[in-house]
Amino acid sequence: MHNVFAGLAQGLLYSLLALSLVIIWQSTHVLNFAQGAMAMFATYVGMTEIEHGVNYWWCVIISVTVGVLFGGLAERVLIRPLYGKPEINAIVVMVGFLGLIEAFVAGIWTGVTRNIPPPFSQIFFQAHGQVILLSPFVIFQFVLAISIMLIAAAIFRFTKLGLQLRASALAPEVARLLGVRVSRMLTIGWMFSAGVGAVAAVIIASGNFGLYPTNMNGIFVAGFIAAVVGGLDSPLGAIAGGLLIGLTEQFILSYWSANFASLGGIIILVLALMIRPQGIFTKNVERRV
Amino acid sequence: MDWIRSLRSQDTTHSRFLVVLSLTVLVLLITIFLPPVADSQLAEGAAIAIVILGLSWLIGWSGQISLGNSGFMAVGAYAASIWAQHHATTPLVFTFFLAIVMGSLSGLIIAIPSTRLKGPYLAGMTLAFSAAISPIAQNFTSVTGGENGQFLNELATPKWFLHLFHGQNAAINANAQWSCDIAIVVAGVAFFFMANLFHSRTGRAMRLIRDNDVAAELVGINLTLTRSVAFMIAAGFAGLGGALYTILNATVNPSTFPLTLSITLLTLMVLGGIGTLSGAVIGGIIYSFSSNLVDHINALTGVNPDSNLGANMQGIIFGALLILTMLFAPRGIAGLWGPLRRLKKPHRRLVTNQEVK
Repeated sequence: MHNVFAGLAQGLLYSLLALSLVIIWQSTHVLNFAQGAMAMFATYVGMTEIEHGVNYWWCVIISVTVGVLFGGLAERVLIRPLYGKPEINAIVVMVGFLGLIEAFVAGIWTGVTRNIPPPFSQIFFQAHGQVILLSPFVIFQFVLAISIMLIAAAIFRFTKLGLQLRASALAPEVARLLGVRVSRMLTIGWMFSAGVGAVAAVIIASGNFGLYPTNMNGIFVAGFIAAVVGGLDSPLGAIAGGLLIGLTEQFILSYWSANFASLGGIIILVLALMIRPQGIFTKNVERRV
Repeated sequence: MDWIRSLRSQDTTHSRFLVVLSLTVLVLLITIFLPPVADSQLAEGAAIAIVILGLSWLIGWSGQISLGNSGFMAVGAYAASIWAQHHATTPLVFTFFLAIVMGSLSGLIIAIPSTRLKGPYLAGMTLAFSAAISPIAQNFTSVTGGENGQFLNELATPKWFLHLFHGQNAAINANAQWSCDIAIVVAGVAFFFMANLFHSRTGRAMRLIRDNDVAAELVGINLTLTRSVAFMIAAGFAGLGGALYTILNATVNPSTFPLTLSITLLTLMVLGGIGTLSGAVIGGIIYSFSSNLVDHINALTGVNPDSNLGANMQGIIFGALLILTMLFAPRGIAGLWGPLRRLKKPHRRLVTNQEVK
């Protein structure tokens, strides 16, 4: 039981990152390799304010705002010139961005791990002398992650903005004819995605991980695997994939060895790609292989 | 440069051999006049150039992307190192051969699920591989030496070579020179092989697949097989480069080949010019002297090299260079030659086989 809770809590973080990757993929067909690093940068800008006596929640708000703006900026400056070019170009640019951000952050804030004091206790509840596998922080993690997902789903499904976003992802030409500002939608998609990524990074930095320049690398790899396993076209698949990987890693960790936990995701990836390369939850089966 | 080009236009194995041989000898002569520090930098650059060459072939010719080349390097390096722990007096040629085979095999393992993938999927898959290599190396302590890694014997400089050096630090100079020369020769052989590969049947098939895989399939090219072979060749080159790197440094540990090395390799490859031999050479040279370059830039901008910012300057510069090159000059430094040459004498330029797409 303990493993299930811990695995789901970790998996939700992967799901958030996978979700943010899927949002970008849907809007611009770019796989953003700098997603983790961008979120990490936003967390550094926001959460180090705690050291200057700023309230935790204000820091969260600053982080997410910076993340959103940074996402928009990245789309405008780095990705916009590359539309219509081979997709390798966008990958290379984002890999370069990843290296640039990590080196820059290490240069400004040093590579030393910072501990962000979590807003809630990480000590597990106890009842009748027995540990109940939940701590206030884990509950906070669950509530925040799930509410972000619900908000994202609500925006996509029920608002006019969401409709426009979906339209410009699905059929940009038609959407443009119908009066949707497609290029603006692409920027908004990136901003939205970077915001979701920043929330994941904030939770990770407040937990046991701590904050250091490469702290999102492992999370990014897991999130990427989750997105691919679930299908890059399917937000629901991304969330399910994240949970699956979180659970797998947790079970490997407790029954085998902590060192092999990170390999669990890769094994899942290889299996998933061999069996169903287009992703488990994707509807679009018409992909030439 | 003109005589080189006239040889190249004949386009035979013989002429390619002559070009590579003369360039290798030229570099060997240059190393005589370099100080020992520059020699060892150049030697590492040669190892990196081999890896870049494989990556360049993979991305530029077969259109597949790999962020896992630091992982393949680690495989080759550990293969060489583990072998050396048990068989200290193996000829170098055999060690290199072993590294190539092990690198290619790891490439094959990645290629089997990956050749069905394209672009971002493939990049992520290889990224996951290179992220997984370091925990594996840390875990199998009995084989890999765990966190501390393994140490190798330094390259033995032969007696006759030592006798060529006199005066102060003769032994040190001779050792640096000998290691560098070995690295250059290995790189020369690798470049010769790749030059032929570019113009071989496989090379042409590869380019067709990259440009239009449906057409390639229609003319009877086996897509999966050709893509897997391309991947194995690139991984073999990376394995060779990794082994050479490790033999030069006489040590290997899980942090020798970090994920950031993959980014550095990609940067150098793009900067030099994707899919060109000269691009790989340029990339290797830039790698060799990148620390001098970074020191120079630190001095120019007045950043203290011992500060945090100074220590991370290389990452910042490489990341920025990669972005800028890709946005503004996607064909790299080697790609700048073409337009310049065409400006000079447009009418004498013949369209060769390779340029017909």
